[in-house]
Amino acid sequence: MIRLGVRFALAGGREAVGRLALIAVGVAVGVGLLLATIASLHAINAQNSRYAWLETGFSGSDAPAGSGQATSAAAPPAPSVASASASASAPASASASATADGGTASDRLWWRLRADEYEGREIGRVDVAATGPHSPVPPGIARLPKAGEFYASPALARLLARTPRAELGDRFPGVLVGTIGSAALPAPNSLIIVIGHAAAELAPQSDVGQVSAISTTTPASCADGCAFGVGISADALTLILSVVAAALLFPIMIFVGNATRLSAARREQRFAAMRLVGATPGQISVISAVESGMAALTGAVGGFGVFYAARPALAGIPFTGQPFFTGDLMLGVRDVVLVAVGIPVVAVVAARVALRRVNVSPLGISRRVTPRPPRAWRVLPLAAGLGELAYAAYVADIGARSSTSTSVEAAVFLSGVLLTMMGLLAAGPWLTMLCSRSIAGHARRAATLVAARRIADNPQAAFRSVAGLVLALFVSTCAVGIITTIGAYNDDAVGSAAPGSATILQVLDDDPAGPRTPTGSTMPADVRQRLASIPGVAGIALTRRVPGVGSGQHGSSIVVSCAELASVPALGRCPSGAGHVTMNPDFGGGIVAGTSPLSATVWPRFGGSDAELARSSLSLIAVATSGSSASVERVRTTLGLAYPRTYPPLTLTEFRAHGSWRLKGYRRLANVAIFASVPIAGCALALSVAGGLADRRRPFSLLRLAGTPVGVLRRVIVLEAVVPLLATAAAAIGTGLLVAQLFLRGQLYETLHFPGAGYYLVLLAGLAIALAVISSAMPVLARTTGPEAARQE
Amino acid sequence: MSGPESPAVGNMPEPLLVAREISMSFGPTAALRGASMSLAAGELLAVMGPSGSGKSTLLHCLAGILVPGAGEISFAGQRIDSLDEKARARLRRDRFGFVFQFGQLVPELTVEENIALPLLLTGARRAEAIGRAGGWLERLDLAGLERRRCGELSGGQAQRVALARGLVADPAVLFADEPTGSLDSLTGEQVMDLLVAGAREQGMSVVLVTHDPRVAAYADREIVVRDGHVVSGELIAP
Repeated sequence: MIRLGVRFALAGGREAVGRLALIAVGVAVGVGLLLATIASLHAINAQNSRYAWLETGFSGSDAPAGSGQATSAAAPPAPSVASASASASAPASASASATADGGTASDRLWWRLRADEYEGREIGRVDVAATGPHSPVPPGIARLPKAGEFYASPALARLLARTPRAELGDRFPGVLVGTIGSAALPAPNSLIIVIGHAAAELAPQSDVGQVSAISTTTPASCADGCAFGVGISADALTLILSVVAAALLFPIMIFVGNATRLSAARREQRFAAMRLVGATPGQISVISAVESGMAALTGAVGGFGVFYAARPALAGIPFTGQPFFTGDLMLGVRDVVLVAVGIPVVAVVAARVALRRVNVSPLGISRRVTPRPPRAWRVLPLAAGLGELAYAAYVADIGARSSTSTSVEAAVFLSGVLLTMMGLLAAGPWLTMLCSRSIAGHARRAATLVAARRIADNPQAAFRSVAGLVLALFVSTCAVGIITTIGAYNDDAVGSAAPGSATILQVLDDDPAGPRTPTGSTMPADVRQRLASIPGVAGIALTRRVPGVGSGQHGSSIVVSCAELASVPALGRCPSGAGHVTMNPDFGGGIVAGTSPLSATVWPRFGGSDAELARSSLSLIAVATSGSSASVERVRTTLGLAYPRTYPPLTLTEFRAHGSWRLKGYRRLANVAIFASVPIAGCALALSVAGGLADRRRPFSLLRLAGTPVGVLRRVIVLEAVVPLLATAAAAIGTGLLVAQLFLRGQLYETLHFPGAGYYLVLLAGLAIALAVISSAMPVLARTTGPEAARQE
Repeated sequence: MSGPESPAVGNMPEPLLVAREISMSFGPTAALRGASMSLAAGELLAVMGPSGSGKSTLLHCLAGILVPGAGEISFAGQRIDSLDEKARARLRRDRFGFVFQFGQLVPELTVEENIALPLLLTGARRAEAIGRAGGWLERLDLAGLERRRCGELSGGQAQRVALARGLVADPAVLFADEPTGSLDSLTGEQVMDLLVAGAREQGMSVVLVTHDPRVAAYADREIVVRDGHVVSGELIAP
């Protein structure tokens, strides 16, 4: 029977071949998307592993700093190492520490990791000094740079070549002696530099430690005490993987399932004829399975072709914030076998299950078995998921949360969200049935009646066509709700104001190096003159921390003169007649006490004496500029050279961005979920619409013969997709907002701010895509239900 | 060459539906070659002929489903072959009824909703449409099946539902294309009895395409189509 099935599949004429080709194409697209998703998950891990060497010197890595000053991991959030687009090359795996001559490291290495910034892009800076010929060598370079030398990543080398030295190059002492290889680069466009020093020069400096090896601990495997903001932590990785898997994999599987169901009704006529000549139902099942399996296998092979053809373009999408190397998007043997074997098996099983619904008799399709209607118990998983999240929020509300670890909290939240998503999928058919029965009972127009009855007849199939869109709606609503709220608490609007991007701050007393970096009470005259001579600089304000005055982040507020404050208006204002004021700002949030924007704040008078000010050390230097890139970067270079610190001078906007780096990560994840899942869901809907048309070709064409306008049939098709979508979209949106509220209460002790206009635009865009997909089937409807179609039937 | 129709006996009413010298081809195949016929108001006309003779094509042309390549078709004195598709669809919806051999019912609708469908398409209120549909359930021995899905009916029951749907809108002409073709003889007789009774009751004309002489025997008159021509048309005494 298998051989017969193969013959039928291949020798069934143009229509049969066309049908198989259609299924194969649909499966190929779905498999390509599935492979891209699987490969992306591998790529995230591969990229994250190349951050490992940057954990060197941190106490949580396998290469902590030994004698000498240890690198602290308790500092405020460090800017993560970011990058911009560049050409890709296959990366080698990160190498363990080795010496320049290939021997084992026995000499120690002075090591310091710092962050720098250029035009909003982060630069990872590693200062090294060998203590002997066998000091460990970081990956990606052949040897350690000597004093006066540095290695730069290819992207940074190109940037240095085209940027005026005063804006960037002057920050890095020495000359470029080579580029860093891809084994040490998280992304093709990473900006990383390794600067060589003499040991005697580097050792006395702040934030420097001695290490005997280069770290191989990835950010995801570092539980505590590693570089903050470098790479992706284990919790964040789990979140990314879970969201990507749930938001993409399910819509893809729906798409593949719908593809394999195409033209099932047509095949049933052939099976009826075979039954007439004596084939048993079991033999029919085998033949049907062979046809479906062949189409799916062909599609699966095609899917691998689609994936490999799209791989270079896919690698360039920065959905973790950075693009991948093409080679990062790899598939393991297990993945290949799982997809190549699994997809045809799923197709075969789906075909056999579908045939069970139809009792194929020698006289044709004798009875179409109506599936049992979904029951109310289907809402239980949804209730369970929401209940879990509500309990977690309650625990946080009563203050019992501190006794649980972060990883447990993350696990509870994630499992609650995943259970809620599965609950939406389980409850969807039941909600669809309720809605459609209600509509059918009150329908006044023929199109509404036909559509509602069809949905009520098989709400599972109706919901399946829009399930992907419903999931995308839930994920996007949840994400936008969380992001909007966090953004509101951080006053996003302030950061976008011009002064925010034109004022640079160098924080001096927030350095983990502490007292090893004395700041003095005033700025050296040559530094002030260099700053003032930069075109575009409008003002300089120095703040001092006066012990015992006010209460701030470090137990005292900072004091600034009103004359200088007036030249840097982004920091606030003085009351009339005041000589000095005390400030207590939160630059990471950019607002004061959660209400006023920084620039509108009127600070209180400072009641101390000039003598007190003269004895106090500098806390912060603020420079107002015209906002041009050249002036900002030259100021950054001048301040960075005069006051070398672990963290570079940053504009107010950059401060806020770093303070909300987690928010940026959530936004990126939400974008991936929305912009990837919506098109996939749209394609699944298109297949479902096409399949529904094929199944009802005869009754529709005879209705047209009897005078039914084609517009009525169009309305039927549209309503059959729109009704389940709207019925379940309301539940998805409501659930998404509720989950967002529960997350905010449970994790951040905040209350949901309802999304703004952007969210509704996303909603409308999703609906527009759905309508566009449905509309694309209308020409097919008119053609396949015309008089000729009925006559040929 | 078309054959002449038999002259009517007694006073013949003005023909309701007239076809003159109509020809229709599908590619190189000529399905109708100069066929002519007429249908009087209230008349039941059987169209017979072997398979492939063009009888279904003739029915489709008379019903305004197809536009002939040549010739004229008039209904109630108005040319219909020159109307556009929208106008012909409106005519089919408002003035004609149809019964096909199989597959015309919407499987997801109940029996009474299927019967009411033509009324809903013309804009009738749902309650009125369901009410009028319910009236046909008794007459066609479908009482008790109102809420059944059409997929749950026997062949005979489904064909009676299709008949009720064809009659519910009080069409001027009912076109039936092999209405008993997929039924056993006993069930077919039942369906034909009901079709004729329903048509007579409404005073509607019927064009009945069939290859079965027993079905054709129900008609007032019979024409034979052969090789695209109407070769004979005899008045069958009522």
